[in-house]
Amino acid sequence: MSAAPEVLLPSSADEAVSLFGDGADVTVVGGGTIVLPELTYGRLKPTRALLLHRAGLAGISRNGSTVTVGATTSILDLSRERAPVGPCAANIADLEIRSQGTLAGNICAGEGPDAPRGDLQGPLLALGATVRSAGQGGTTTEPLEEFLPKRRSRLLLDVSFEEPAAGAFAALGRPHTHDYTALAVSAVRAADGSIRLAATGVGWWGTRLPSAEAAAGDPEAAGTAALADVTLHDDALASAWYRERTLPVLVRRALAQLEESA
Amino acid sequence: MKLTVNGIEREVESAPLTPLLFVLRDELEVESPKAGCQQGGCGACTVLVDGEPRRSCLTPVAAVEGAQITTVEGLGSPESLAPLQQAFTHHYAAQCGFCTTGMIMAAQAYLDHGGTEDREAIQSALAGHVCRCTGYVKIVDAVSAVARGDSFDLTVTAESHDTTNVGGTK
Amino acid sequence: MKAVGARLPRYDGIGHVTGRTVYVDDIRIPGSLWVKALRSPSHHAKIVKLDTAPAEAMKGVHAVVTHKDVPLNVYGHLSALGIPGDEPLLAEGEVRYQGQPIAVVAAETEELARAAVEAIVLELDEQPALFDVRKAFDADAPKIHQWGNWYPHFEAEMDRRQIRKGDIDAAFDRADTIVQGVYRPAAIEHVPLETQVCQVVPEPSGRLTIYSCTQALYFSMGVVSAHLQQPLNKFKFVGGTVGGGFGGKVDTATETMCSLLALKSGKPVRWRWTREEEFLCSSTRAPWHMEIADAVTKDGWILGRKMLTLHDAGAYARFSPYGLTKHSFHHTGAYTIPNLEFNGYVVFTNRVPTTAMRGFGVTSVSFATETHMSRVAKVLGIDPFELRLKNANRIGDTSPNGITYTDPSTVPTIQAIADSLGHELPGEYRAMTPARREGALLPEHLVDQLGNPEAH
Repeated sequence: MSAAPEVLLPSSADEAVSLFGDGADVTVVGGGTIVLPELTYGRLKPTRALLLHRAGLAGISRNGSTVTVGATTSILDLSRERAPVGPCAANIADLEIRSQGTLAGNICAGEGPDAPRGDLQGPLLALGATVRSAGQGGTTTEPLEEFLPKRRSRLLLDVSFEEPAAGAFAALGRPHTHDYTALAVSAVRAADGSIRLAATGVGWWGTRLPSAEAAAGDPEAAGTAALADVTLHDDALASAWYRERTLPVLVRRALAQLEESA
Repeated sequence: MKLTVNGIEREVESAPLTPLLFVLRDELEVESPKAGCQQGGCGACTVLVDGEPRRSCLTPVAAVEGAQITTVEGLGSPESLAPLQQAFTHHYAAQCGFCTTGMIMAAQAYLDHGGTEDREAIQSALAGHVCRCTGYVKIVDAVSAVARGDSFDLTVTAESHDTTNVGGTK
Repeated sequence: MKAVGARLPRYDGIGHVTGRTVYVDDIRIPGSLWVKALRSPSHHAKIVKLDTAPAEAMKGVHAVVTHKDVPLNVYGHLSALGIPGDEPLLAEGEVRYQGQPIAVVAAETEELARAAVEAIVLELDEQPALFDVRKAFDADAPKIHQWGNWYPHFEAEMDRRQIRKGDIDAAFDRADTIVQGVYRPAAIEHVPLETQVCQVVPEPSGRLTIYSCTQALYFSMGVVSAHLQQPLNKFKFVGGTVGGGFGGKVDTATETMCSLLALKSGKPVRWRWTREEEFLCSSTRAPWHMEIADAVTKDGWILGRKMLTLHDAGAYARFSPYGLTKHSFHHTGAYTIPNLEFNGYVVFTNRVPTTAMRGFGVTSVSFATETHMSRVAKVLGIDPFELRLKNANRIGDTSPNGITYTDPSTVPTIQAIADSLGHELPGEYRAMTPARREGALLPEHLVDQLGNPEAH
């Protein structure tokens, strides 16, 4: 019979980092919206559970043009930010889940049983965000692209990005609030005028669309080019066939939105 | 740890990761929040935590230490029903009643935060709540009526109004 | 008569809004054990080995029940309607659908109950599975039911529900066009907000008190009594507010399984299904496969209908023969078609057995009939309202199973729909009533048929 898990309640970021250690045998609980059902259904039996709600890791701060978002900032707070983060966050679940769910919980979520998770990966990739995280090897800062493959073994502390000149977000409609988003595209015009595009729902985690970026001046071409950047899959939300037809549409829409906000 | 439930401070002995739903139902014998799905997908377990609507099945009790928890029992009783409870009764917004307690708490939070009678705003606030019986129209009627400041005659059921497709086109 | 037409308040409304309404899971019985089930991971397999000893040996596990503990394991819930039993309460020797219960355990905590289930040794020999009703009739289809792949016990041991009326060949000869369509509504989950839940308390008197969420209390009492081979007065059934049923809680088996666990352990037991169990293993509305061919005239008369229905019963019959029977009686919907050839089969597949859901058997054929009428109208280039009004049931018309209509509401209903959609009807259609057919509304093909149904 499994012993009751040791529950750790750090009251500062430093304490959280120290308790996390190298991440071995630790289950991190942000808001709890993803972890709790796993506990309830007996699929997850943690030996140690690290609850972050008191560790002072929530909050959005601005330092000049740099925006830093703490790990346990709620998705609800993020939904008030400008595009692409704001509309992406607003498109997640319902009010109650958004109030409880956190940035880190969303980004670091593993694959769901039937569909990819982590909608916020898309906007943050488009924003060229960097992640500060703790774990094996100490506290490091790296681009989100490099963090994502190891997101399950690190303790995310905060995410930073440069305020863009403009942002846009286009997603497939969800049939119901409880559905995850099958496909979404985020677009950003950086301060230097360059355009970045990223998508979620095109693989098991979010990805940049460099071929589409290269053709961003021509939305039609960019839409088609995006297909070269992804390996589409079937899952419970949508088929690869469907994603193949709708990805170019979302790329065009995101670029059009970006144009409008110029 | 300690928790205040409907104004009364309670001592909780359940393990820290126990979902608040089961602390309320099994340890504290507050049965109104329901176990509809135990994974945050239905809203039958919604309670207020310091005035904010939360899925109690997703909330580890350690995360709400010291908080004020409100359930329908704390809103009103048969002798003294809160406006929302009167509205749900008068407008026939509950059939089997299983989704009702969670629905009312979410609606209460909506109203407490200045929610208006706008039907789309109400639907958005209650978007995570599933009802299989009523078709939602009368639920929105009830919340809208409270926002509007209606008073309710509990000796009759409200006149049926034109049932427009909720969210659809006519 | 003061109640009719009055807007009476709901008598349990106040209980609902104050959290006072008591559902089965709200009842707290001290010392209750948690129940969990060992369910088949396979769609179709022979059980090679089932060893519950490791679970029974676990500390805190008070009882494990398998088919061996059930006095009458196979019982036909609708045997009073002539539908013999085919489904075991707990699997014996084989499993025929993923999720089929094989054993149930009662333990002191939910976690222990889950662990006990995992400790049971189960070895299966996979068998080919059948999922497509259309393939059930192939010579090389896997044989998945002791009666064959479709239900053979309709009256006079027929293997289908059939209706014959009039002269279908003549109708098809005389038709200007044949309009065909295939309709395949999918299974639907009931998704009541309250999952299945049951509590059973063994009383010192030797009786059992059973708290049940069943929609059909007396029915369930009979089912438990039959499986346990105990008289009805042994059971005190307590029903009450059901947190949604919609037909999905008429074939509950939790009461029987919990009763067996309560008897074996001597303790109260409680079983609350998870939402995942509801979606994976609770019975659904059946998927249907319907093929319709209508013999029609240029001016919009439907002379005859040939129809084939395959009703997907899932692994066991349950109420499906009854559902198909109702379906057959309604297969012309709100319209009068005098020449009929209907064949309906209850087909077995390796899916969760299907059951009643609001409008059992009839929603499928209403969907098919209405869609088909629109299709006929499109093919003929006739207004869909006018087509319906022309063929609408009228006083004196007969249903597929020979019932004479005395007050059919098709005509005023379609006129009201046209009204509310702002669809202009020509004068003669606006003036139509359900009155007995005469004149232009009584063409030759209907003259002989009315009031003269052939026995089916």
